[in-house]
Amino acid sequence: MKMQYHLLPFDFTRIAGKEILVNEVGDMMVVPEGTTQRIVDRQMEKDDLYKSLVANFFISEDLVPPLLDVYAARLREKKRFMDYFTALHIFVVTLQCNQNCVYCQASSRKEQSEHCTMSYEMMERSVELMFRSPAPVLTMEFQGGEPSLHPKLIRFGIEKAEEKRLVDGREVRYVLCTNCVNLTDEMLDICKQYHVMISTSLDGPAFLHNANRGKTDSYEKVVAGIEKARKALGNEQVSALMTTSVQGLSHPVEIVDEYAKLGFKSLFLRALNPYGLASDNPDWEDYTRKFIDFYKTAFEHILELNKRGIHFAEEFAIIVLRKMLTPFSTGFVDLQSPAGIVNSVLVYNYDGYVYASDESRMLAEKGDYTFQLGSVFDRYEDVVYGDKVRNIAEIWSNEALAGCSDCALKTYCGADPVRNYSTQGDMYGHRPSSLLCKKNKAIIEYLISLIVEREEEVVPIFKTWLL
Amino acid sequence: MKILIDRNIYSDECISKCVYSLSEVFQCNRQLEGNTESIELVPINGLMPDEDVEKSFLQKLNDYKLRQIVFEETKDIRTILYAKAFADYEDFNIEESE
Repeated sequence: MKMQYHLLPFDFTRIAGKEILVNEVGDMMVVPEGTTQRIVDRQMEKDDLYKSLVANFFISEDLVPPLLDVYAARLREKKRFMDYFTALHIFVVTLQCNQNCVYCQASSRKEQSEHCTMSYEMMERSVELMFRSPAPVLTMEFQGGEPSLHPKLIRFGIEKAEEKRLVDGREVRYVLCTNCVNLTDEMLDICKQYHVMISTSLDGPAFLHNANRGKTDSYEKVVAGIEKARKALGNEQVSALMTTSVQGLSHPVEIVDEYAKLGFKSLFLRALNPYGLASDNPDWEDYTRKFIDFYKTAFEHILELNKRGIHFAEEFAIIVLRKMLTPFSTGFVDLQSPAGIVNSVLVYNYDGYVYASDESRMLAEKGDYTFQLGSVFDRYEDVVYGDKVRNIAEIWSNEALAGCSDCALKTYCGADPVRNYSTQGDMYGHRPSSLLCKKNKAIIEYLISLIVEREEEVVPIFKTWLL
Repeated sequence: MKILIDRNIYSDECISKCVYSLSEVFQCNRQLEGNTESIELVPINGLMPDEDVEKSFLQKLNDYKLRQIVFEETKDIRTILYAKAFADYEDFNIEESE
């Protein structure tokens, strides 16, 4: 006899010989294959699985679940980033750079280059625009090129922000993205005075980092810069990011060990983005396939370190696991729906224009201004609520995109119109051939497979990462 | 390869989604005669994959059908859920505040 119950919205997929059910807030249940069919056919028995399905909002014994308000509150929390609107404001101070990275995604130019640095007037106007954002916490991030080449301009920007902050009362966080090669005392004084976080770039051991930078002594200088910054500001104020160059794909273990050796507690295993010099990479399909293998090898090594008592985490996994295993949203702009562009990030470029994201201004360096939203001298409303943003908004939610809307993993992933446009020629994108989709899906499936197949081993480790 | 689908069992929407999901690998030619839809799968690179294509196609089709059933049966409660989650709370309290 058929059971009487009501379905609630959920999706499903198959991983590691199991069916994975995911509800509207990203709660996941691992069940035997065929369960979805049995649920839909009302063939469930009143056993523990049935009770779990009810308790976890996959089915309901009432037409309207008695705890629907609780469920709605959880959904609201998962999309909390939408309430805040643009929190991250990137200031591209200059394109001038003192390095020569083989994969430069920002189209940086030589240190002596002209006409590629923000004016003081543009900086002031950009700060004014940033304060028009309703976000309760604003992050002002200085990028380049190498922004530390212009400490006076950075000080000016921070001072303008501080003036506004004192009137406004909001919290402002400052981040300096620097290669740490030439961190002067002047720059560190600014960082100390205004609690500026340093986010640097280190690609792994010396041989790899130097090869990526096109220099012979870059590693030495970066490590010295990290030490200098840590002494001046404290260890917790200095973080590092790596980018996996083609050469880096062969050295996952060495990269992890390098970060652990330098005292970092985590690592973001980041793939190349197809912008700037990196876009010249001849075979992205091959790169993506190898990156997925690279990620898994590096991740297994990270798990090994943890099993040996060394607390060390992988940041991309933390973002996905937070979505999967906690009630909270994340602030990571690349895995959001609606997309992180404009909703969570705006870029004020050295050229006086506002862009939808960091990748958008990188496209502009190749002569494509599709995601240029307006000038810093335009009205805030015209920049963030203008026709351009409204058009993008129609395709920035993966809940409404072909190939994404039926994907069980969409809650853990995000929409990326800029990447779709740059790699596939249109903002909507074609999921079956999207390499970003392939990469994200493979990594998320891998993380789920670890939970399914090695729960006792990995979940205690994951929990320490999520504290 | 040709696969025949009974349209009384699988809707146009299910078949379209299934075909879309395979569109990196196959060019799909669809033809409807009566209640039977004939789907010709032509590998884009000229090579037929090693896996059992028909079995895989039918499993995908069944998955999309299950998703469609879940979607149809839950669209009202989903609308209520999203309204409760994202409608401006003040809108619900107009009478109280008046």
